[in-house]
Amino acid sequence: MAVLYDPDRALQLLRLGSGLPQAEFREGQEEAIRHVVGGKGRLLVVQRTGWGKSFVYFIATKMLREAGLGPALLVSPLLALMRNQIAAAKRMGVRAETINSDNTEEWDEIETIIRNDNLDILLISPERLANKRFVERVLATIGNRVSLLVIDEAHCISDWGHDFRPYYRLIERVAHDLPPNMRLLGTTATANNRVVEDLQTVLGYNLEISRGDLNRPSLTLQTIRMQNQAERLAWLAERLSVFTGSGIIYTLTIRDAEQVAEWLRSRGLAVEAYTSRTGDHRLELEQDLLDNKLKALVATSALGMGFDKPDLSFVIHYQAPGSVVTYYQQVGRAGRALESAYGVLLSGEEDTEIINYFIGTAFPTHNEVEQVIEALEQEPAGMTVSDLMGVINISYGRINHVLRLLSIESPAPVVKEGNKWQLTAATLSEGFWQRAKRLTKLRLEEQAEMQEYVDLHSGHMGFLIKALDGDPGRAVSHNVMPLLPTKPDPRLVLEAVAFLKRTNLPINPRQRGLSKTIDADLRFQPGRALSVWGDAGWGHTVAQGKYEAEHFPDELVNACVALLHQWNPDPFPRWVTCIPSLRRPNLVPDFAERLATALNLPFRPILVRIQERPEQKTMENTAQQARNVWGSIEVRGTLPQSPVLLVDDIVDSRWTFTIAAYLLRSGGSGEVWPLALAQA
Amino acid sequence: MNEPLTSNTKAILLLTAPLIVGRNARADVLKPREYSGLNQHLHKIHKEPADLIEPGSESLLDECSHVISRDRLQRLLDRGFPLSQAVESWRQRAIWVISHTDETYPQKFRDRMKGQPAILYGCGDHTLLNAGGLAVVGSRHVDEDILEYAKQIGNLAASAGRTIVSGGAKGVDQAAMNGALEIGGKSIGILANGLKGAATNRAHRDPILNEQLVLISPYDPSAGFNVGHAMRRNKLIYALADAALVVNAEKNKGGTWNGAIEQLGNKIYSMPVYVRSTGTLSEGLDALKKKGALTWSNPGNAEDMEAIFDVDFSKTPKQRSQRKIPFDTELATTEMVAESETLYGSEFPQSIKQASGTRNSTITPADELFQAAKSLVLQIAQTPRTRDEIKAELGITQAQANEWLKRLVDEGVLEKRNRPVRYLARRQGLFGKENSL
Repeated sequence: MAVLYDPDRALQLLRLGSGLPQAEFREGQEEAIRHVVGGKGRLLVVQRTGWGKSFVYFIATKMLREAGLGPALLVSPLLALMRNQIAAAKRMGVRAETINSDNTEEWDEIETIIRNDNLDILLISPERLANKRFVERVLATIGNRVSLLVIDEAHCISDWGHDFRPYYRLIERVAHDLPPNMRLLGTTATANNRVVEDLQTVLGYNLEISRGDLNRPSLTLQTIRMQNQAERLAWLAERLSVFTGSGIIYTLTIRDAEQVAEWLRSRGLAVEAYTSRTGDHRLELEQDLLDNKLKALVATSALGMGFDKPDLSFVIHYQAPGSVVTYYQQVGRAGRALESAYGVLLSGEEDTEIINYFIGTAFPTHNEVEQVIEALEQEPAGMTVSDLMGVINISYGRINHVLRLLSIESPAPVVKEGNKWQLTAATLSEGFWQRAKRLTKLRLEEQAEMQEYVDLHSGHMGFLIKALDGDPGRAVSHNVMPLLPTKPDPRLVLEAVAFLKRTNLPINPRQRGLSKTIDADLRFQPGRALSVWGDAGWGHTVAQGKYEAEHFPDELVNACVALLHQWNPDPFPRWVTCIPSLRRPNLVPDFAERLATALNLPFRPILVRIQERPEQKTMENTAQQARNVWGSIEVRGTLPQSPVLLVDDIVDSRWTFTIAAYLLRSGGSGEVWPLALAQA
Repeated sequence: MNEPLTSNTKAILLLTAPLIVGRNARADVLKPREYSGLNQHLHKIHKEPADLIEPGSESLLDECSHVISRDRLQRLLDRGFPLSQAVESWRQRAIWVISHTDETYPQKFRDRMKGQPAILYGCGDHTLLNAGGLAVVGSRHVDEDILEYAKQIGNLAASAGRTIVSGGAKGVDQAAMNGALEIGGKSIGILANGLKGAATNRAHRDPILNEQLVLISPYDPSAGFNVGHAMRRNKLIYALADAALVVNAEKNKGGTWNGAIEQLGNKIYSMPVYVRSTGTLSEGLDALKKKGALTWSNPGNAEDMEAIFDVDFSKTPKQRSQRKIPFDTELATTEMVAESETLYGSEFPQSIKQASGTRNSTITPADELFQAAKSLVLQIAQTPRTRDEIKAELGITQAQANEWLKRLVDEGVLEKRNRPVRYLARRQGLFGKENSL
């Protein structure tokens, strides 16, 4: 339905929303709103974060609603971060609600709001569109009246987009299936020419494009290579203590975010880790950063688009991200409303390995797909993921990943009916594999481009703008602040090394066996791992001891003694035993015996391996792991009836500890305290 | 088949399809007659359905407002988002959708039908639909020897390279179709309901992947059982075939009888309709012969089978001239569609229509469930059936069966017979005009 655009009302809404009575539209903003409201066809807005894309869709929504049309639907991958925008919407009298997997208890209430036509815009994540319950309950209520579909982060639709989000495959098809009379607005901060071309094909219908300037004059950009983590930790601690204002430190993995945060806190800096594991605290942490109560958040990409703190004075990367576009988006959060801000990229030896891992696991292997399909072929009535775990040796996460990716193919070879997965009358097309191959290649090219950036000595902003196909005619700014020192303080480096070696990690007891709960008095007590397998602390030493020297050195004995004193389990173990192995019969017992001696406790190797089984690390899921251990160990000889320290080299699924503890406790031992040299 | 929807198909879905995804509000979609009228009008002003969904189509909606009210058109056409969701849910199950404006739409429907379905949903290789073949029709509940007979017919047709066209229902339909499939032949199943479930049924998977089987339906893949749909679907079976065999039929009763009578009187396209001539015969088959059906000559091999199709039909098939416009506005006249609707649609008691059709706001899910159960029970109890048989057919508990049966007996639509206790659908008033045929 055509709606007449009222420019005075639009400006009034902008002023209400921004809270600034003198506010004026930015270049391109009003044109975009007019285009959407007037129903003139589909529009793609490419403007940097902070330009005010949300004003376009909130003002348009409000105007459509005032003209009597139905509500808008917004799809965004990062809803958690839209709170600022929602607050602005409220000021304009736009009622917005979010539906996600965390607020199912509110769905009924939101449905009522929708039914009573009191909702103006519903915000959902793309995954919601694949959720049957949501589609059938909520969308069914709102569906017939949706007047505008907003696709946030529209670049994700394109295969050439820098971040791969599987569920945007769904959005792509939804956009394709929508009739041309449906209002559609795509927004993104970054889209190079290839992405724009792709979006033109997908969104079609004479897509109009509104594009802004990529240059960020307030940023001082710098890149520093520092191979080892201790150096980077030392550098961060030193810089953070002299930087003014607050900022963000980006890491590639959750583990790194937590470790960096812990280190910086140990140096007396007010920082917190912010990752997908942070859960409910996210809001609080964001607010603390907004209020400058924190010096920095140490974040993974979970802290992403939409987080808007105009006076963020630095963004530092602890590791280099996988692409220049990701980097531009993350560093672009700094200095939006400041004269100057730092964007520093540190790059270390592990970056490439981590990114390669992300790239290598983004798609399932032929083998994984074949195994899943073959298993489903045997069961005409379908299988749950647990059923699948029982018959194929693939991890829970990977099985889910395979099923998810296959189910959003078109046509899909598998479909979920109820809680069971079933084969459909379609086979996986060759296109799936071609696409996987093409995307993998693209990701590797992007990684190479990122490394080029790391090696730059000057001209960083120009490089970014060029890589993003920015307007070559516009001016490129240069660094306004002096470059930072590239060498860390050697004394701090030594402390960082010590910190990395001090880390120990909890091992929590499994509560459930495969079919039933394990009685509390037959479980192990919460244990400890000395290191993370292969990490910069003790991890390297453990890996070397296991696979090269076939002997764990005494420094690991000393480290374990220190760990035990710090940990101080209560009641303290009175004897030591260990997990036996036929493959390496002496490695762990030898170590455990030396540890027992150092602790002045008796060593009693009473657990025996009665059957050779494949290495536990080759078992990919919990059902396979439990089955692999069960029946392969037994207790020989008399058990002391007192607390025991149970030693092993690597802990992964915890099934070995679980079953050994079960045997020890059933045989009458006291509390079982597990200790592993490394966590896989 | 995985091509994107054409704009015309999108528009026609918006206008005529319920687009069922979960429990969305029922839309007041255009009935075939209304759609036909709209399409005629569009054709007259040199437009097509796709033009209704172009940006700036307001003036066109105004121009159509004397055919369908502007508000109603707007409401239907605003269902863009549910459309995308429905299409996605079909595609997830390898179900495609086409409209009469698409090139892939079966030419035989265009040539041989008045009021051909505007939309077809399907799963499998759509090119099978143009192959012609032998229609095999009969009922759900038949003896073992009849099933075996139907299966042999399927075998024979397949060995002669002929496709079996049938309704995909239990009993004769499935026996004939499987008879063809099991020896590598081809089958077309034209379903009255449940395409969504049939598409993911494992028994269908291999034949569909091997391009031996295609399932189609003119009704929403999620729509439930509906007597009217089951009746109207018969026309489509005949329209895709070159000859038909009625394996069994009860006189003056049920879809098989009705479909056969209709085809025998078809003024647009005549073709040989045979009735079974061996085994236990019935009054129904005799009665069909009197109405013009031919005696099945029991061909024993592929060569003899060819003769079945080779009938010099006295009434030359009145092939219709090649259409110039997408949806035949001359032949699918309001009058003719109205006639068929009287026959199969509006004469049904309100309760059955409600079971799957228009739902008004006072109907609770419990009512809806009961109405659906009612139409199923009445369908099952076309011949006297015990409680346990009905219970087993519906896969429900004894308590539930008792409750529903008692309620239906109380309503007077079900007759309870004693010694042994059996239930029989009361015909009076249930199938309306059909009883007088």
